Amino acid sequence: MKTKKILLLVYVLTVLAMLVAACAPAATPAPTEPPAVETEAPVVATEPPAAETEAPVEATEPPAAETEAPAPEKKVVQVAYSAEIDILNALTSQNLTDPEVTMVEGLIISNDKNEYIPVLAKEIPTYENGGIVKRDDGKIEMTWNLQQGVKWHDGEEFTAEDVCFTWKFIVSEGSEVYNRDEYLNIEDCQVVDPYTVKFVWTVPYAPYNTLFEAILPEHVLGNLTTAEILTYDPYNRSPLGTGPFKFAEWKSGEYIRVVKNPDYWRGPEYPKVDEVVFNFIPDNNTRLNAMKSGEYTVGIGFQPNQVKDLQAIEGYDASLIDSNAFLHFGTSILSERGKKLFSDPKVRQAMYYAIDREAIARDLMEDTVTLADTPINPLSPYYNPDTLVYNFDPEKSKQLLDEAGWAPGPDGIRVKDGERLSFTMLNRAGRNDRIAIAQVIQAQLKDVGIEVNMETKESAAWTEQWRSGDWEAMVGGWFLTADPSVTNLYACDGGNNMTGYCDPALDEVMKASDQALDFKDRKPLIDQVQALLAETAFDLPLYFNVLPTSFSQKLQNFKGSGTNLGSFWNVYEWDLLP
Amino acid sequence: MGQYVIRRLIQMIPLMIGISIIMFALIQAAPGGPEAMFLESGRFIDPTIIESYRHRLGLDQPVYIQYFRWLGAALTGDFGVSFSTSRSVSEMILERLPATLELMLTAFIFATIIAIPLGIFSAVHQYSTLDYLGTSFSFLGIAMPVFWFGLILQLIFCVKLGWLPTSGRVTVGDASIIDQIEHLILPATVLSFLYIAGWSRYMRSSLLSVIRKEFMLTARSKGLQERDVIWIHGVKNALIPVVSVMALDLAGLFSGAVITETIFAWPGIGRLFIQSTYSRDYPLMMGILMMGSFMVLFFNLIADMVYAWLDPRIRYS
Repeated sequence: MKTKKILLLVYVLTVLAMLVAACAPAATPAPTEPPAVETEAPVVATEPPAAETEAPVEATEPPAAETEAPAPEKKVVQVAYSAEIDILNALTSQNLTDPEVTMVEGLIISNDKNEYIPVLAKEIPTYENGGIVKRDDGKIEMTWNLQQGVKWHDGEEFTAEDVCFTWKFIVSEGSEVYNRDEYLNIEDCQVVDPYTVKFVWTVPYAPYNTLFEAILPEHVLGNLTTAEILTYDPYNRSPLGTGPFKFAEWKSGEYIRVVKNPDYWRGPEYPKVDEVVFNFIPDNNTRLNAMKSGEYTVGIGFQPNQVKDLQAIEGYDASLIDSNAFLHFGTSILSERGKKLFSDPKVRQAMYYAIDREAIARDLMEDTVTLADTPINPLSPYYNPDTLVYNFDPEKSKQLLDEAGWAPGPDGIRVKDGERLSFTMLNRAGRNDRIAIAQVIQAQLKDVGIEVNMETKESAAWTEQWRSGDWEAMVGGWFLTADPSVTNLYACDGGNNMTGYCDPALDEVMKASDQALDFKDRKPLIDQVQALLAETAFDLPLYFNVLPTSFSQKLQNFKGSGTNLGSFWNVYEWDLLP
Repeated sequence: MGQYVIRRLIQMIPLMIGISIIMFALIQAAPGGPEAMFLESGRFIDPTIIESYRHRLGLDQPVYIQYFRWLGAALTGDFGVSFSTSRSVSEMILERLPATLELMLTAFIFATIIAIPLGIFSAVHQYSTLDYLGTSFSFLGIAMPVFWFGLILQLIFCVKLGWLPTSGRVTVGDASIIDQIEHLILPATVLSFLYIAGWSRYMRSSLLSVIRKEFMLTARSKGLQERDVIWIHGVKNALIPVVSVMALDLAGLFSGAVITETIFAWPGIGRLFIQSTYSRDYPLMMGILMMGSFMVLFFNLIADMVYAWLDPRIRYS
């Protein structure tokens, strides 16, 4: 018994010592939770006497709390965020990042209606408002009028110089900005006056709104080389922006906290809340429990199969944000086997007719998703509802396979010239939703005499193989911008086309659509792109993923957006009811 | 003894270099590279940045050159910068160390206090009700998946009862010790459960075999009280295998506990490691693996020294 007591004492002391050491930087107080401690009898009961030995530290703490006590209750939005992000530079981060949207602003952002809206720009330039002018030499001059009186968080004024500096950084050699290629047609950036910036484009580029979602401060980064900016910790860890919130702290593995910017340019009434805290909770189930416990205001990154649980949480609403992330069943003809099997469009079409997308949406995704007939979300004004749709039709599928010369073999699997209609689906470990889809497809294709084998690889290995093009089939996904261009994915030389499919006619329309700066010119071209995509049968769009999101009914003005720029686009007008 | 320790420490150097070669080779041999992270987000990316990224990180060099670069820097104490965050690897590991030790030591001490007496009791009162209870408890602890146990505890104590926070290390804005302890309770419980389950079994079986030894009979026949026989002669001898097991687990303290940390969003090294593995952050992986390997070697040395104290027949020279 004696040894036990000593050990217990040692234990309590050690824990206390570590805790005291760990909590050195006293943060701002929040309403403390009711003392749930009483229930922790064995450990806590012995604590008060032990705590007295730590007198000096104990003594310094209460005053700190008292001095802040008179302040009115702070409005803190606690976000149950998924995984931790790498860095807070929106342009060079490898993640889709929400935290920097609260701090760093760009010329534009996309809203909950899949539209681009101006932020640091007064309006989006178009032909009609005179912002876009076609020069005699065929080049395009695009003029952006900027908001005046916008201050960086350190008090410096935001001007056109910052915009041109951002452009220079992006297009500089080795900037590693994820969509650097999209900026390369900007030949020059001219500062007309501090609030007007002019881009000279060598060719018209219709998806110009996908650019400049973040502007970098020249007065902070201007003296650094491109390589230095990439690794510049002060900016990467604590970015300086013009946004409604200022960076406060980033505790690795725990949270990022941003606080109200009192000088926000939209006016003193914004932002309406005092702090936003992004708590990193990587496990989906834990995040669900965290929402159930009521500790958080907003929870994001849930899976479709958690929707029912989210809807059941009292005091919270579950929003199924219809996103531009579309899942598709794709094949590659860059692999030897893929080339043999899938070069014939009839075979591809036969597979698409054999896949029951409605069953997938209903049974796997609990009917939460929108079916995708084209890669463009029906929410988008560019969506074309009149394309060829591969509705489930196994008879038609069999007929197409017969026509293509694939006859059922002795084991039911179709054969042509001694080759079995059998291929391997490359799955990515951890993406259970996609693996489930692959399994359904496997079963459905078997019904028409196609054999699918499964191979699962860990994510980095999967990515490497996908990039090589040396795979046969997979269920993949893309997170598209609010702009409808899919050239990058389906053009013969598209940067993310890893399938080998190439159709010059489609290429031509896609490229024309990318040069049509006006909606009324571009819309028919994008319609045609969607129609041709369905006819060429390069891949089969399955559905648009929903982003299940849970938020407290006290949170006002939360308007979840399903674009790649995320749901924090209007964080400045979020408010918390008491 | 002193000489022995110094010799063992010197032996560690070539051993660590050997380990680093194997680790480096294994890490590089795994398919996929850090550039995979660019595609993780699902956005269209400029394929040319992948080449410039690989070039900047030196990944376009032959593996042996990359290794010698790494080794040269590591020998001077510089473990490089993380691929994904561009921050110093040592800094990233060190900032996670307090949280890791806080969780692991709490679990470790808690487990020691329960496991050793439980094992002793089970051995001394073999086939008693309590022994059966302890045995079932151990099997339960070993068989129960950590993530499941953690989630169940969350459901009970956080969701239903609302007594404890579900995850994290602190409530942001609340710097009180009480808050920190509340956050520590669940992960420490889950983790110590695992240790208790294992260690109490070792302790039980080890003591059972010692109890049947002849020197125990001698101790009894010279008139020692049963309590002294068990504690002075039995337990001390029975501890030797238990100490080896515990020493290995102790080394793991510094590497953190991957699953527990992930479930409870605890900012420990285990989570840092799993994250670095997914993103193929080679320098960060190497840094954590090297630290983990060193700790295993170091605590084995400690264990060897503890043997000498536990069993006077063991002498090092």
